[in-house]
This record gives sequence, C-alpha cells and structure tokens, in this order.
Amino acid sequence: MIQDSILGPHQEIITARASDKKILTKSQDGGIVSTILAYALEQNIIDGTIVAVEGDEPWKPEPMIATTKKDILKGAGTKYTMCPNPSLIKEATREYGLEKIGTVGTPCQVMGIRKMQTYPLGVRNVVDKIALVMGIYCMENFPYESIKTFIEDKIGTKPSKVTKMNITKGKLFITTSEGEGTIPLKETHGYEQSGCNYCMDYVAELSDLSCGSVGAKPGWSTIIKRTDKGSSLIDKAIEDGVLETMETNEGKFGLEMLRKLSTNKKTKHQKQIDKKLDMGLKIPFAHSKDKNDPYENR
Amino acid sequence: MSETITISPTSRQEGHAELSMEVDDKGIVTTGRYFSITPVRGIEKMLIGKRPETAPVIVQRICGVCPVTHTLASVEAIDDSLKISIPKDARILREMCLNAHIINSHAIHHFLVAPDFVPDADYKQVVKNISEIRKHAQFVEDVVGGEGIHPSDIRIGGMAHNISKNTINKIKTRISGLQKLLEQHVEQMTVYIQEKDFPENLGQHNQPVFASDDTYGSRDNISYKEIEEIAPSSWYDLPEIGKRACSQIPLYRGEAVETGPRARAEKYRHFKEKGVKAQHLARAEEMLNSAEKILELVNQLNPSGKTMAKFDLEGTNRLGIGIIEGPRGTNIHTAKISEEGYISDYNAIVPTTWNIPTMGIATEGFHHDFAPHVIRAYDPCLSCATHMVVKNDDTKEIIEDKYVQL
Repeated sequence: MIQDSILGPHQEIITARASDKKILTKSQDGGIVSTILAYALEQNIIDGTIVAVEGDEPWKPEPMIATTKKDILKGAGTKYTMCPNPSLIKEATREYGLEKIGTVGTPCQVMGIRKMQTYPLGVRNVVDKIALVMGIYCMENFPYESIKTFIEDKIGTKPSKVTKMNITKGKLFITTSEGEGTIPLKETHGYEQSGCNYCMDYVAELSDLSCGSVGAKPGWSTIIKRTDKGSSLIDKAIEDGVLETMETNEGKFGLEMLRKLSTNKKTKHQKQIDKKLDMGLKIPFAHSKDKNDPYENR
Repeated sequence: MSETITISPTSRQEGHAELSMEVDDKGIVTTGRYFSITPVRGIEKMLIGKRPETAPVIVQRICGVCPVTHTLASVEAIDDSLKISIPKDARILREMCLNAHIINSHAIHHFLVAPDFVPDADYKQVVKNISEIRKHAQFVEDVVGGEGIHPSDIRIGGMAHNISKNTINKIKTRISGLQKLLEQHVEQMTVYIQEKDFPENLGQHNQPVFASDDTYGSRDNISYKEIEEIAPSSWYDLPEIGKRACSQIPLYRGEAVETGPRARAEKYRHFKEKGVKAQHLARAEEMLNSAEKILELVNQLNPSGKTMAKFDLEGTNRLGIGIIEGPRGTNIHTAKISEEGYISDYNAIVPTTWNIPTMGIATEGFHHDFAPHVIRAYDPCLSCATHMVVKNDDTKEIIEDKYVQL
C-alpha cells in the first residue's frame, strides 16, 4: 500500500474504460462505475446496489435500489447535484433483503459509510452487509436549485432539454438537444453546498476503489485501486475483459493533474477550516497547526 | 420438621426472581412460592398521555428478549381500540415476524438449558447450531420487522413496508435450509430431554392451560372479562413475600394457569403430555411448527400488496385488546385512546406473569433439588412480568392494594 496524503492510500493507479460500447454511450466518461457494479453483480460479489436515477423532475436524481444490470444502467452518468444514496442502505438490507450491497458515493458519502461501519449505532445487521464501497472524484456538489439556476438563468434553457452535463477543463458544459452551453467554473462558485468548502477529500480516500475522468483522455477514467477487495475486483474485471486499459499518463494532463487538483482542493479548504477554527467555531476538522502533514484528510 | 429453602436469584432466566420452598424432612417441597424481584420500570404508566404511536416503540423496550411480541400486542390493542382493520398482507407479515421470533427465542432458551441436558462432548456443536438457527430467524425478523431487536416497522394500522420478491425468495431458501437444521437440532434435543434422569412426572400440576391460538393469538378464544389480577399479598401465604413480590397475580376464571408452548400444544396440537420434559419437548417441536408456518405465510404474501390501512387517529375511548401468542405464552396488552387522541389507559399482562403463580405450585411434590429445573422449563422472563410499584425501597413495601389497577 502506498501511503499518499494527496491521493489517499492506494495500491496502483490505472487508466481504463468499459469494453461494452452500450455502457459507454450512456456513461459520463469511462463507464467504470456502471461496469464494475454490473460485473460485481454478475460475479455474485454484490447482490444489489443503490444508484441515482432520474426522479420526478429532470436532473433531480433520487436514490434507487438496483438488483439487476438493467436497473444499474439507469443510474449511469453523472448528475451534478446531491443524491442521498447512503440513506437507502438500511432499507436495502430490510425490505429488499440484500446481504452484499455495493455502494457508490462522493467522498463525503464514502466517509459517511465508513463512519457508519466504525460506529454502527442504529444500523445493527446493516454494516456487515456492505460488500463494496466505490468512490467518485468530487471537487464540490450543487444543490438542485443551483443546477436549475445554471440551466435556466445562465444558459437559458429548460432542465428537460438537457442531455448531458460535464465539468472539464475548468468549465461546466451543459449539452442540450439544440446545442451546448458553457459556464466557467469561476461563475459557479457560491452556488455549491457550503459544506463542500471544508472538505479535504477529492478522491474518496476511504473507498475500496475510486474513479473519475481527471488524469485520463476523454472517454477514459483513472481508477485508484485502494483496498485488496477493490484491487482484486478491478484486476478480475480486466482479466475477464469487461474493462480495457491503456497506459496511464503520468504527465501534466495525467496523474500530475489529478495530484494538482487534489492539492488545490486541500490547500484551499484547509484555509477555510483554519479560519473557522480560529473564530472559535466547532467544525469536525483539524487545524493545520495540529497536523504533521497539511494534506491529511482529517 | 419443615424447613424453608430459598433460591435467590434463580438462575439462567431473564430477570431476577426468588424461589422460596417449604420442604419436609425428606427434602420434598410442600409449598413452592416463586416471585419476581425485578424492580419496576413503570412502562404502562409512562404511556399515559402519550400519542398512540409511542406505545409500540416504548413497550418493545420492556425486554430485549421478546420485543416483537410486545410490539405486536401493542399495535393489535391500539388497532382494536381505533377499530382499524389491517390489510391482509400486513397481517401475513406480522405473523411471519412473530414466528421467526418464536424460533429465535426458543433457540435462546435451548442455549440457557443446554448445561442441564446436553452432554459435554456435544455441547459445542449444539451451541453452534443454536447460533446458526438464530441467524436465519433474525434475518426474517430484520427484513420483515425492520430490526431484529426493536422492530421499527410494525406500526399501528399495519406494517411500514412490504418486502420485495427477491426477499421473499431469500426467506424461502433460508427457511427451507433452516428446516433441515431444525429437524436435526430438535431430534437431538428430544433425545437429550427424554434421556434426562428426572423423577417421573416432574413438574406436573393440575392448573389449567391458557392459550388463545396455535401461532398468532386471537381475541375470540379468550374471554377478557374472566381475567382478574390480584395483588401478590393476597396470593402468597407469607406476608413478607407478598410485600416483596414485584408482579401482580393474574387469574383466569379464578385459577392460576400455565401458558406457553406446551399450553398451545395441548389446546391446538393434540399434545397430551405434562410436566417439565413435556414443556421442553413442546417448545422444541414448536420451532418446527413456526418454520413451517413462515413458509406457508410467505407463499401467500403478495409483494405488491398494501400493508398499511388508511385511518384517522381519532380516539374512541374504547378498550382495545391485543392478544399475541409469544414464545413464552399469551401476551395481552390493552389500551384506551381518549377522544383527544392520547393514551388514557394501558395495561399489559404478559406470559411470565401468568406462569409465576403456577411455577411455585409445579415445584410441589418433588425434591427441592429439582425445583430449578421446574422453573427453567417455563423459560421465565421476569422483566416483562414486573408490575408493582414499590412504596418503600428499604422495606420493599408495595403500594396499597386499592391503587393496584386492573
């Protein structure tokens, strides 16, 4: 295990994408999450998962328990707004009777799941049924009202017309059936949920494996293999041909970029944390002066 | 010459109780008195003035051994008081949960009595089987009731949710597998129990049996009007014990009764035997009965059926009665909801309360060495049975009879 305070403890970082072209047409980047969940389901490593699917309003996702590949694919693609997937974990073990749940979440959700496993208050016979914790890279997340503002006020279209949203190269791209609108990320600041400003985790450091587009060519993803469980699952998926790999770019637009973004997030947010702590406010993070390593996620 | 022998507390049971026996010069018990010394928590009083939905949540905390039974008796009483009729699938789910709980609870009792019956060489294997049995039973309690220990999803008006098709299949697979293990376990326990060198007829008594149903519980088979609860001071012959006892004495048609697996078996399953061994055998066999019942019920369940009745929480001031056949016997909760929609009266007469006076009687006529075996055959659970309010903690004096509400 490589101890790394910027990218979290990990065994290896690789670049991969789904071999299944159908998944790639629906997925955000390399289709890793959808592929791995479907693969783990097939291999009986998990017996179900919780995915974010479209709810009553367009682009407002709601969590759903998925026990088939078809249902898993309904959750493909990133929605840049909050979706409380972990809230269904207990329900999944009860009325759905799941015993090996695969979970996917943003870094904060992964932290929540790990905390639940460490202090299982009110979740008796629940946490022992979490079989896999996958994390996705996350700089910040937006409440649904913010997303609506971007779409309606900044781009001037309707959420129902949007076909894809993507953040890359410092911009938020909103694609509609009629064309594409962009918003520089600078203009999105202030619209994120406020808790994101104190987050020290960019790459879901506590997950079994995490993935995201940063550090890979368009249509590909970087995967950070962390625990033995996550690592062996990815290795098996590659061996069985459901994931294809390419050489990882270690350079400026590859892993260096991933490190840079993680470092930036941590540096910026540590300042916010210090500021609040200096004001005497109680927030659950350590002051930089109490840390040996300034990038440590705590 | 008679002598008094006291066992305090009696062991390998839930809660604290004392057994006081008069024995003759051969050591044979002439008078047996079993009574609860578990302190009162006042659960029923706590409920007065609360909203009805609080009742199942609080009463399930009476005891961690039998929470499903108390929750069910509570919601049944309130459903009855508010005249709610629950959907068919909710009733199926409630009954499944109770049967899973019966398997689980009986398995715990086998663990408690294992030192009495199981030979050392087999002990580990038997305990391992018990754990395995409990695991499967708890799975059903978890998925149906929402929680194995304090079931959150058994609600007034039905059940909070149905279960998915996938869960139904899992229950079928699990319980079918469990049946094989149970058959082996019950057969093994039966041999140990039958081979045990107890005196013939140990624990036999002439008190009537008390049961309302084969597995779930029914209001129709018990006449609530014929139940009376008397203060311990008028039951026990020694005033000292009458003062210290922490439970009321319920009588049915004027008599102390035996409730529990053997009572159910005698009334509904043509079971004829009596006494300690018969109680253990009936309990073991009931595990098979419950497993079969779960499979029967799960096959009837419609996973897309409604599980919650539509109702308005309007009080009726009517006495609602909930009767549930718990692992240890008939559990009766009664509730009244005032017109303003608050609980105005709540009472629970739980299985061990019924058995307490009978257990003392059952020790009579045998050597006092066997008395603990007689007590354990009832699987007593004292914390539920405790109802008296102690007036003076030093003298353990209880409140006056006139304040003891039925």
